[in-house]
Order: sequence, then C-alpha cells, then structure tokens
Amino acid sequence: MAQGRSLLLSGSLVLLLGGCGFGTLQPLRGLNDQLQRAGTGQSPSLAMGWLALISGQSGREQVLLVELGRSMPVPLPGLNRPDAQPLGVSVDGRGERLALVRQLEGRTELVLYNRRTQSLQPLPIKPDGVPRQVNISADGRILAVQVSRGGLWQVDLLALP
Amino acid sequence: MLALLPSLWGCDGPWGVRRRAAAPLGLGLEGREDPALSGDGRYLASVVERGGRRTVLLQERLSGRVVPLRLRGQQPHSSPSLSWNGRYLAVLVQQGAKRLAVVEDRATGNRLPLMLPGDLEPERLSLSPDGRRIALQLLDQGRMRVEVFDLGGLLEPDLAPAQPVQGGGPP
Repeated sequence: MAQGRSLLLSGSLVLLLGGCGFGTLQPLRGLNDQLQRAGTGQSPSLAMGWLALISGQSGREQVLLVELGRSMPVPLPGLNRPDAQPLGVSVDGRGERLALVRQLEGRTELVLYNRRTQSLQPLPIKPDGVPRQVNISADGRILAVQVSRGGLWQVDLLALP
Repeated sequence: MLALLPSLWGCDGPWGVRRRAAAPLGLGLEGREDPALSGDGRYLASVVERGGRRTVLLQERLSGRVVPLRLRGQQPHSSPSLSWNGRYLAVLVQQGAKRLAVVEDRATGNRLPLMLPGDLEPERLSLSPDGRRIALQLLDQGRMRVEVFDLGGLLEPDLAPAQPVQGGGPP
C-alpha cells in the first residue's frame, strides 16, 4: 500500500515537472567526444552549422571552429598565434566571420577574422578601453563587445561592413 | 559616458566599421556586461545591476526600448544568448545553491529549465540561432569543457526569413 502510494506520488511528480516544461538535455555524443579529445573548452559560440570555442591542452589555448555536420575542426590560417592568449570568441551564422578578444604582447585587443579571405582585422576600441566578452550577430552585421572603461563595464556596438 | 554618446553615434572607424555605444537605459551610469545580440541584430541582451543583483535586460537595439521578460528572481543572471528573431532567450540563473540554464520563450511566455545530467553546472552558454541546439561550458572536477545538446524536441525552430525548414515530404 505504502509502495503504491509512493509510486503514485512519483508519477504525479513526473507529470508535474513535465507540465512545467522541464527539459532533459540530449547530448550530441559524437561531437562532445571530439571536443573532449581536443582538451579543455570554454567560451562556446554556436552558429547554424558551426561551433567556435577556445580549446587547449597544457595551457596552450587556441580558437577552434568546428563544423557540426562532420564534428571536425576546420583550418583557421592566420588566426591562432602561439604568443597570444584567446579570451573570448564569437562566430557569425555562416561560420565566416569570427570576432576574437585576445591578449598579445601585454595588450588586450579585439580582432575580426574573415575565414573566406583568411584575413585578420584589428578593431580598435574607441574611446580607449579593455575588451572582454564579444558577440557577433548571426547575420554578421553587428558586433557587441563588453569594454572596461574607468573601472566600469560598458557595451559598445559596431556595425560591420 | 552618457555625455560622450552623441560623439560616438555614427563614428566611422577603419575598414568601414561604424561604432556606437549601446542604447542608454535612462537610469544613469551603470555597468553592463555579457552582451548578446539576436541573430538579426534587432535585440540586445545584457546583464546589469538591479538593486545589487545581476539581472538580464533585453532591449531593442536601435531604440533602446526595454522588452519585458518573465524571468524574475533567481539572480544572479549571466551569459544571455538569443535566437535569430529573439524569440528565445537562454540565460544562466541561480536556483538555490545551483546554477541552471533556462530558456524563456517570448512567444508563449513559457520558461524551460534545462536539466543537466549528474552534478554538472554550466558556466556559460550559447544558443544556436535557430534554437535547435545549445552549447554549455561546464565545470567538471576543476576542468572546463564545452558540450553541445540537442533542443530539437523541446523548442520550435526560430528561423531566419526564407530559411528552408526540414520535413514536409519530397518536393
């Protein structure tokens, strides 16, 4: 009897949680296994068929752009440097433009990488400030960056050509 | 900072980049962190201090109009992320001692807490523009890692205009 009541309560709880819209997450196992093998991971940015993140082993971190359909990283020639420390990354919807905040030679800078032309373009912070989190809209037209100025975090918006 | 805004508006930078400060909130000088744009750039989410608590704020990017959210309590909020048209806002919230990823559906008003297996806690998140997947930065035994999860069975797609949908049989 007590067992039956317990089962009834459990069933009610499941129904209650379901009614509240609780979602159980289904991991993409093949992709996640690949990411684990690449080392630590942080600063994820998802696009339609792409995932950008900062990944690395033994303190050597770099930007990875993974094609979700193949669960494989694609080359990013000219983006990663052994003397740079990536801090934040964001990718547009087509996986073509990546915005990156990195530390290089004692400075923190914001750069925009174009995968099609393999070109890297610095985006100066005006007025002067130190960038941190960056986010590029999926349509690739607007970039938002969190900037420290005078001890206050602010958000700058940049319209990209 | 507010006094500087007119001089920033429409300021041309190198390579044709045009910059402007995020629309002011009209609430005086305050910090803003964790910016996130909707896929079409119409909406900007950021995290601001409200009564000493980090709270996510959603605004129309051009007008600065604040868009109401049903997310109340469960601060501090962090790491907001928006779908293409801004229908879905994913954000990390505090629930008791645990940090939890939650998706608010602005079309229906529903809140969807995303339950992770085991004792994993998310540190950051990113929602795909169509709302079909979410990437979570997880802290597991002192080690950061990123995992991607399928939301296909939980959320309707929030697609860009003229984007093909799956299904519907052969053409």
